Amino acid sequence: MTMDKEKFEMKLMDYLSGDISKEDRAIFEKLLSENEAYQKEYADLSKAWSHLEALDTPEPSPEMDETFFTMLSKEIGNEPRNTFWNSILEIFSQMWKPKLAYGILLLGIGLGVGYFLNPAESNFPNQEVVAAENEAEEVRQRLVLTLLEQPSANQRLQGVSEANKISKVDSIVVKALLQTLNGDPNVNVRLAAIESLTNYLENPLVRQGLVQSIAHQESPILQVTLANLMVALQEKASIEPFRQLLKEKTLDTTVKKKIENSIESII
Amino acid sequence: MNDLTDNALMLKVKSGDLDKLGLLYERHKKRLFGFFYNLGNNPSVSEDLVQNVFVRMVKYKGSYTGEGMFAAWMFRMARNVNYDYHKKMAKESISLNVTSEELGEPMEDGFNEGIEKEGNSALLRRALAKLSDDKRELLMMSKYRGLKFKELAEFMDCTEGAAKVRVHRALKELRTIFLELEIS
Repeated sequence: MTMDKEKFEMKLMDYLSGDISKEDRAIFEKLLSENEAYQKEYADLSKAWSHLEALDTPEPSPEMDETFFTMLSKEIGNEPRNTFWNSILEIFSQMWKPKLAYGILLLGIGLGVGYFLNPAESNFPNQEVVAAENEAEEVRQRLVLTLLEQPSANQRLQGVSEANKISKVDSIVVKALLQTLNGDPNVNVRLAAIESLTNYLENPLVRQGLVQSIAHQESPILQVTLANLMVALQEKASIEPFRQLLKEKTLDTTVKKKIENSIESII
Repeated sequence: MNDLTDNALMLKVKSGDLDKLGLLYERHKKRLFGFFYNLGNNPSVSEDLVQNVFVRMVKYKGSYTGEGMFAAWMFRMARNVNYDYHKKMAKESISLNVTSEELGEPMEDGFNEGIEKEGNSALLRRALAKLSDDKRELLMMSKYRGLKFKELAEFMDCTEGAAKVRVHRALKELRTIFLELEIS
């Protein structure tokens, strides 16, 4: 059996490189075994390849590394820095296609028209807005503290509701709210204080204050509210104060049951 | 892991992260050195040529597209560096009134050092020196990258089948020359 010369040459190279399927290998080996000329050619080529593979090469000197890294650090020093404007320019040069260019042009015109039609708002610097907001927050915090100290329950309630409007309370306001929760003579104000404090549950001071206030509460409605809240928070630290509360003889039976259930669900 | 392929590293070099060239250098310096050395350059020239390849990579990094194989791109560059070097040397020798006969075959410089040594290596180097530049480059690329015909095809800018036939014929010619030298 013979084969076209080029086809044989290709097959032999596949065989030599090992990149050949099992089937093709078997076919090729059969072809070799049947043809002496092919066998000789394979043997010659295989020898030439193994000689070439075995050809030794000296190691490059360490100076080569030194020269390379000197060149590299010099090139790095010469490289223009990848600044913001360079990146923008690069993006634009990559995107510079007519359709996109029209799109960007239209967007630019739109923005320009918008800017001129609405000068009052666009002239309002952001920094001033932020400063004004901060000031308002401070005034509100002072208002809350003042209102919480008023003798009228209505005003104290107003103080608690003002506290709800503050996005970020400081520890003084938290302490004032906790104090209200523990010491205010009016149940409604105390309830409002719990509600207000639930806005800041991520604050550990608030959670701690709520747990500590369990022992101070005598009103059933507040005890139940706190029990519900503790279940929702799965606050394990509340178990002990609740157990203490259960020992109180004056405790309302409904509340007692509620607290027992709460302790179980927290555990 | 894809971030560490030759292609990915070279694309980073292209985008300005030149530090990554150091990794590519460490990965390929020995092969490139061997490539130049076995093409017939002496060790010192071979080291300079390796250096030139990387200088060229920095210079032409913008033309790297990431398509195809990095090694084929690098070895094509190495082949051009070698060609330019010998062209320059030939020019200089003409301007110095040295005839090419006095200079001998440009590729044979390095091989002459090995002639005194006995054994296959010396003989093989002499045989390699007698091959045409194309065939010698192709065999060196095969030696340093293995018989990866897809890569060789990219290196030689031909089809995979053609690359197989060319390597086959180059090896066959090398063998013939080798045997002739052995007899003489």
